[in-house]
Amino acid sequence: MKANNYYIDIATHSLNKYKEELCGDKVEIFKTSDRTIIVLADGLGSGIKANILATLTTKIAGTMLKKGESIKETIDTIMKTLPVCKIRKIAYSTFGIIEIDKYNNCTIIEYDNPPIFYIRNGKIINLNKNVVMYDNKKVKFSKTVLLESDALILVSDGVIHAGVGHVLNYGWEWEHVAEYLEKQYVKTAEELNRRLIDTCNTLYEGSPGDDTTSVTIKVRTPEIIEVFTGPPENPKDDEYLVRKLMEGKGKKIVCGGTAAKIVARELDKEVKTSFDYIDLDVPPIATIDGIDLVTEGVLTLKKTIDKLEEYKVYKIKEKEISAKKDGASLLANMFLNECTHVNFLVGKAINPAHQNPDFPIEMSIKLNIVDQLISVLESIGKIVTINYI
Amino acid sequence: MVVQVCIGSACHLKGSYVVIQKLKSLIEEHNLGDFVELKSSFCLGECANGVSVKIDSQKVKTVLPKDVEKFFETEILGGLER
Repeated sequence: MKANNYYIDIATHSLNKYKEELCGDKVEIFKTSDRTIIVLADGLGSGIKANILATLTTKIAGTMLKKGESIKETIDTIMKTLPVCKIRKIAYSTFGIIEIDKYNNCTIIEYDNPPIFYIRNGKIINLNKNVVMYDNKKVKFSKTVLLESDALILVSDGVIHAGVGHVLNYGWEWEHVAEYLEKQYVKTAEELNRRLIDTCNTLYEGSPGDDTTSVTIKVRTPEIIEVFTGPPENPKDDEYLVRKLMEGKGKKIVCGGTAAKIVARELDKEVKTSFDYIDLDVPPIATIDGIDLVTEGVLTLKKTIDKLEEYKVYKIKEKEISAKKDGASLLANMFLNECTHVNFLVGKAINPAHQNPDFPIEMSIKLNIVDQLISVLESIGKIVTINYI
Repeated sequence: MVVQVCIGSACHLKGSYVVIQKLKSLIEEHNLGDFVELKSSFCLGECANGVSVKIDSQKVKTVLPKDVEKFFETEILGGLER
């Protein structure tokens, strides 16, 4: 069987129960070279107690399954490890586990959580579920092979109960969530998942009655972006580097004044600069025929990193980023919404101006900035390759 | 006359935005829009001596925000008279 060339796009968002500082739902994503494991657990109760139950559940499940333990062993370990609730005298957390191998074979394991939503071509697909009993506990197993654009959405019960007793008598209900999901035509897992959670928040009128979490998995065709920054150490490599950049199949980005000049020279094109200061901290962008985005270097990259970090912490900011048109926002938006893979071509030449004591310390070495950018991109799930020249 | 102001990283930090704004308004004040074309440019190769400004094909000059008026008088007005 051929290993799949698809990209598994994953996004997760949570709402905390009204007035709670911690969420009692927890999502963990484990990626290894041949498998992706996603675990969502909903701990009994709310607040710190639920958070501990859910965290233990996701960590134990993920770690054991990743190491190849059986599901029976894993569930057994979870049940024996969870602390017993003083009030309810039980140790309890529901969970859903999704495991996807490199051939797109997908196994879904569900224990007391709302049934997973599986969408293909805008329609809900019903999976055949095998029920297996472990110590009186009903665990459901199902298997499928994922195709391109398939979406899996795993939720905590806060989603299907959204609005209960306020806007809706019975809450949103599984069937209605399913109908809603069928109608969303979006490219990224992030967008689909956010729409779902935003709708829950609206139904709860901004004060969720329960911890509310969803995780969306979407199978996507890879979208590649090539980024060239910094002149090569040896000017003899200029031609090779620009050729490599242009051979790339995806979108092309050039960051840095000198890099832009090299590209323009090798392609026999012109760098068209502008005076458009949209954000005073970000130098204006430029254009070169055949290149999708041309920006200044270190300052723009630093700002881009800040924006991506901000997005990671406060996910809501993404819309703000995509609305702005300065170099750093355009760049951050391309990274967030227009790629699954990023290939960096990084020249190692040192710019004497960056060694100036007046220059902000973290910018003195461009390679530091590139390293930071790579780590934030990886942390939001992008697959990054780097070529130093 | 074409005046290019560098907007690369080093020059940006040393104030190319201010230099551009000042030059723009000076050119307007003196009604020189038809004679002087103000442009931005990526790196002019003098990063250590920003803000880099280049007139036509002359040598790159350093123009800090505080020196813009003087530069305008001697180099731009002076240059046009020559």
